[in-house]
Amino acid sequence: MPKKFEISNNIRRLRFFANEMTQQDLAEKVGVSRQTIIAIESGKYSPSLELAFRIADVFGVGIGEVFQCELKSE
Amino acid sequence: MSYQETRTGASIFSGILVFAAYCLYAFNPTRMAALPAGDLKPWATTMLIFIAIGIGVAIVTQILFHILFSIFLAARSKIENEQSDDKDIKRAIDREMVEDERDRQIELKSMRIGFIVAGVGFVSALLAVVFGYSPVVMLNIFYLSFMAGSLLEGAGQLFYYRRGA
Repeated sequence: MPKKFEISNNIRRLRFFANEMTQQDLAEKVGVSRQTIIAIESGKYSPSLELAFRIADVFGVGIGEVFQCELKSE
Repeated sequence: MSYQETRTGASIFSGILVFAAYCLYAFNPTRMAALPAGDLKPWATTMLIFIAIGIGVAIVTQILFHILFSIFLAARSKIENEQSDDKDIKRAIDREMVEDERDRQIELKSMRIGFIVAGVGFVSALLAVVFGYSPVVMLNIFYLSFMAGSLLEGAGQLFYYRRGA
């Protein structure tokens, strides 16, 4: 049986260090709605690989610094 | 509530209206008593008319919703910033009406719900014939299951928007 992974992210922290970038600003930069950024930040939606790279690109960091994958204990 | 959620709500509303209108008209006891038993033609005609009505109502609802939502956004933009001009208002509207990968994923997931309901309806309609019900019952189960599938698809969209896709 495949192991379960939980994806977490540092978008809130990265926004804070990017001059308190708003969710709307980030959404416009990556071409999605603010609701999608809210959903990603709160872990309700896992973005596509392309969107994940675009988000990382906005902050100028690697994708691993934005998203982390943890093995979930069952 | 986001633009997509509200739009889905408007679709559900128009779907419920057509569903209710069909039930009230088609299952009216006076009308049913006047119909020749086992004749599918009047039922098929009614369903075709209601399909056309459904499409018309859905288009009109979406246009009205789009206009009202744009007015709401323009008013909100003016209240938040009195100096905002037409360009700012247009930008605010465009920002709110973005459709992205999450919307498409939610649409696909909820479409699956619609297909399942329609599929169950199809099997139920066939079973109805097997168990001796008239073809009129079969036809109505077909039609109503497609309508219910469409409504549940909308409900599924709202659910996924709230709970997460």
